[in-house]
Amino acid sequence: MTMARRVLWTYLLTGIAVFTLMMLLGIAMRAEQARWVAFGPQIFYAMLTLHGAGMITSVALCGMGGLWYLMRREGELSAGAALVAYALVVLGVVAVLLSVFPGGFAAGWTFLYPLPFVGATWPSWATGTFLTGIMLVSLGWTAWCFQMLGFTLTRYGGWAGASGWNLVFKRDADPHETPPPQSIAAFVVAVDGILTGMAGMTIGVALIAHWLNPSVLVDPLWAKNVTFFFGHAFANLTIYMALGWVYVGMARYTGREYHTTKILAIAWWATLVFVAIAYFHHLYMDFVQYRPLQYVGEIASYLSAIPATAVSVWGSMLLVYRSRMRWTLGSIFLFTGLVGWVVGGIGALLDASIPLNFDLHNTLWVPAHFHTYLLGGVFLFALGLIYMQLEERSGRCSPPLLRWIVGLTTFGGMTVFLLGFYVAGANGVPRRYAVEPAPGPLTASWATVGALLLLLGLIVVLIEAIRLARLPAEDPA
Amino acid sequence: MAKGPLVLPAFLVLAVAAMAVLLLVALSTRLSPLPYSQVQPEGYKLRRWWFLILSVGLVAIFAVTLPWFPYPPLRAAAHATKNGTLYVKVTAQQYAFTMPSVLPLDRRIVFEVTSLDVNHGFGIYDPRGQIVAQVQAMPDYVNHLPVTFTRAGRYTVRCLEYCGIGHASMQGGFDVR
Repeated sequence: MTMARRVLWTYLLTGIAVFTLMMLLGIAMRAEQARWVAFGPQIFYAMLTLHGAGMITSVALCGMGGLWYLMRREGELSAGAALVAYALVVLGVVAVLLSVFPGGFAAGWTFLYPLPFVGATWPSWATGTFLTGIMLVSLGWTAWCFQMLGFTLTRYGGWAGASGWNLVFKRDADPHETPPPQSIAAFVVAVDGILTGMAGMTIGVALIAHWLNPSVLVDPLWAKNVTFFFGHAFANLTIYMALGWVYVGMARYTGREYHTTKILAIAWWATLVFVAIAYFHHLYMDFVQYRPLQYVGEIASYLSAIPATAVSVWGSMLLVYRSRMRWTLGSIFLFTGLVGWVVGGIGALLDASIPLNFDLHNTLWVPAHFHTYLLGGVFLFALGLIYMQLEERSGRCSPPLLRWIVGLTTFGGMTVFLLGFYVAGANGVPRRYAVEPAPGPLTASWATVGALLLLLGLIVVLIEAIRLARLPAEDPA
Repeated sequence: MAKGPLVLPAFLVLAVAAMAVLLLVALSTRLSPLPYSQVQPEGYKLRRWWFLILSVGLVAIFAVTLPWFPYPPLRAAAHATKNGTLYVKVTAQQYAFTMPSVLPLDRRIVFEVTSLDVNHGFGIYDPRGQIVAQVQAMPDYVNHLPVTFTRAGRYTVRCLEYCGIGHASMQGGFDVR
């Protein structure tokens, strides 16, 4: 196995392992809300904290590994630097894990100031360990982003080349020096990612300062803005990282070519801006927030649908439309990931409408839409990447019957699981309740059944992946 | 009026429409293949329309729905005595709300919501169990939430921002008559 593949699989397997553990926690929490089991609020909220932090980091790890691997194929990229970034993120995950079990830290993965310090039912060291963990994840993420940024700038002739500026505005731009779509994605993710990582470290430093010396006070509105900028953009970028290999994978499975166009470059610039400013929608119900920022939040959230659907989804649909698409598990996961992204995006757009958010804010509608595009989008994209690698390596794909079994269990289970959130959210059931008011327990029961069916499907996916991985390589390189 | 129950059908219609489009694209691979050079120009033409409809549509939705934004006028307090608005103080603290137990029907009320400790959410559920209004309760800040209750009965208040392990039990209420 080449070093590049080692790096890819190190990231991917760690991401999937963390994801699986977090999924089991998620099922346990839905079972508690369905009143099938009773852990009690202390354990429930500790699990909730870990689930949130772990899930985002797991899909981020998959995205980082996948996009790094694609960039490595574009030119020289240090595996050592990628592994340092990986080690920092994993150290952060370990710290977060220790803070929660056995520490009992339960202030939520959003750790809104001053909750980690007020009314805490966990020891002070757990708070410090959690914040250190978040700082390490931010540091590893920022290091990875700097590597991506440095690479794209060097490889494509500086800012004007890497961003696609030359392609859009320079008439004599060398077509050979135009970055492919996945490189434009890497550039945008790196720029936004550096801002995100710096925000994560800023809020981390502020809260650690307060932890060390409680007389250091932090403004709660400022803390909320910085925390949500960090959390929202970090979660959002996991989708945009995955698009890098969606472009590559769709082109490969359809036998068609996907190039960077002026429209694609402009769309990614728009994405760069929208990812950075859409987070204001998390503060819609903070009426003291400067009013124009609320409007900016809604407009940016709305307009982010344009580059997403008119370029990435549209471009993928054109690649597939009346093509000789090879429908393997890899391509099915990539294509259905688009479905999850779009459907989750619709739920998010409704929630981003301020008059509707007035009724939906912090109800189960919020986890409904972000589970749709993280589980039904980014996670499926990650499975698509894994299967694409396994199918290419072995030159084989899964039999049709198995594809049907995986399809019915995975997508059927996912649909039932997600509907549990949507129905409860539309009926005003609050999110993050260990004990939910009606109809929460009923919809949590559906969700638990759906999640168990999904888990069954994913076990089949895992077994099939191991089978493909054990087949002799078609191409020893 | 509670809008939550209207959101679900709207979402389902849009989601099914989006899934149908993607399914049709997937099923098109069963037809005889077309060269990409033929598909791409037609697809780009259609995309222009999609871009136009989506851009204009989303900006129009923003503009048209502005009157339904729940924010109070920026100088609300200055008009307090003129229009008979009732100002009601609400204080949130782990894990309870301090507020009046009875409030008037058909009169404009502005809740002045704050917190003594961590971030909380002040979510008002009508007697049928639907959310009718909410705002965050934040330490060091006061959020003004204007509401006019048009239905008499018992209203429940639930915390809508995670505030610690007693979060789910943080609830209160008042009668409107």
